[in-house]
Amino acid sequence: MLMVRPQIVAWALLAPATIYLVVLFVAPLVQVLFLSFTDPKLSANHFIRVFSAPLYLRTLGVTFQAAFTVTAACLVLAYPLAYVMARSKGRLGIILLAIVGISFWTSFLVRTYSWLVIFGNRGPIAALYEAMGWGEMPQLLFTSFASTLGMTHLMLPYMVMALYAVMSRIEDNYVRAAHSLGAPPFAAFRTVYFPLSLPGVINGSLLVFAIVMGFYVTPQLLGSPQSRMISQLVAEQVNELLAWGFASALAVVLLAATAIVITIYNRVAGLDRLWGD
Amino acid sequence: MPIVIIFALIVTVFLFAPVLIVVPMSFTTSQSYAFPPPGYWTGQYAKYFSDPTWYLPTINSFTIALGTAILTLALVIPAAYAVVRYRFKGRAFANMFLITPLLVPTIISAIAYYKYLSYPKLVGTHIGVILAHTCLATPVAMLIMAAALKGYDRNLERAAMMSGAGVLRTFFYVTFPVLRPGIVVAGLFAFLNSFDETVVSLFIAGRAASTLPKRMFESIQLDTDPVIAVVSTMLFLLVICMFLLQALLRRRQFHGS
Repeated sequence: MLMVRPQIVAWALLAPATIYLVVLFVAPLVQVLFLSFTDPKLSANHFIRVFSAPLYLRTLGVTFQAAFTVTAACLVLAYPLAYVMARSKGRLGIILLAIVGISFWTSFLVRTYSWLVIFGNRGPIAALYEAMGWGEMPQLLFTSFASTLGMTHLMLPYMVMALYAVMSRIEDNYVRAAHSLGAPPFAAFRTVYFPLSLPGVINGSLLVFAIVMGFYVTPQLLGSPQSRMISQLVAEQVNELLAWGFASALAVVLLAATAIVITIYNRVAGLDRLWGD
Repeated sequence: MPIVIIFALIVTVFLFAPVLIVVPMSFTTSQSYAFPPPGYWTGQYAKYFSDPTWYLPTINSFTIALGTAILTLALVIPAAYAVVRYRFKGRAFANMFLITPLLVPTIISAIAYYKYLSYPKLVGTHIGVILAHTCLATPVAMLIMAAALKGYDRNLERAAMMSGAGVLRTFFYVTFPVLRPGIVVAGLFAFLNSFDETVVSLFIAGRAASTLPKRMFESIQLDTDPVIAVVSTMLFLLVICMFLLQALLRRRQFHGS
């Protein structure tokens, strides 16, 4: 029988996917990097502009702030829900899991559209204001609030799933042991359960933070035109101004910011966790 | 504990209730996003099925998602096999590299493809969108395929080999049939990933290959066409059906074993 070194077999099997990604993923990104320094001429001017103009610095601030707010809000809302899902053995757990699963799979656009109806000036909130005689309802649509709430709603199932994946593997016995050793319920939770659930907290937070940093659809459809996120500026530069060089520079800054977040995560938790090795 | 359960239930309502609004909205007689609807009829459904600017993107989305699923599986099955089965130099790097598309914000991929695919004139074509979507679907399919391979009993293969089957024969008669459920799930995730993908399609699908998410985005941004509620309702029902189907399949598998 022909003996081939495993090293060669492994790379032969990996070759199609690797070559495909190099040609159709890495190369387009390298081109963006290239354009950011060369379009229209060789210089670092685009980057100087990003970091010196107040408008762009503000956009970076808005982007990070949105990512932080949405991540924190998701964590606060998702943790108790995932906890109940993981700890209730009966029908309740199954129903909650089904609802989170269905929400997870429902298209972002469908859910963004629902918020558009809800916040709209002919929507249910407006109808409630009119029925109660509260007068004019506050402007909700096209505000940072609508965008943040919409993104929180969209990212919530991701956070719940990340938490649930870890929490469902925490054995009841650990907490029971803490109880039987005399720990009051909250102390048992704080010193035993919470530390065990931390990997889920970290995974979920990274996932949500990284996705929100580059979010385009929801801020564009629900958010305020006055406080836009970096992804919206990138799109505008390309679509309306055809300013490829500057759009590319903004994209590179966004990519670098995302890379920094992921690197910090990798230091803290290790990305290979994703593989469950 | 009861307080925690009540809080969890409130969060669940926040998660689920807003989506339900699309069902009554799809039967509205109004030409705007008014809720509650002033009256009910099925005219918006008739409009969806007779308007090519709505049903053609739906067909495009199915075609593109199917193409993406097939291409992604062709790349991912051997790659996942290599990463799970072999210990070799560069394995950690390969692991990492194949999930990078997951970590790059889609707006960046979108503008990158818009420029890059314009040279071979693939912007606005089905093939262009399939090529781009395959990159984006690779990480998820890879993670699922690798997990399926890890849970697989290698002794089955050893038994086949000892009984005299060659490498290829073993793969096609033993490895592949056992892995089929994992392959189906990986393919399904790749399909859904493409079917739902909005941002890259928005930039590169153009008119001819316009996808359903692109059409929905443009509908929301440009007018208040209530047909979008029809599409939303159908997508929502599709998700519920698929969810029930997989629960049923899992239950049958459970009872079968």
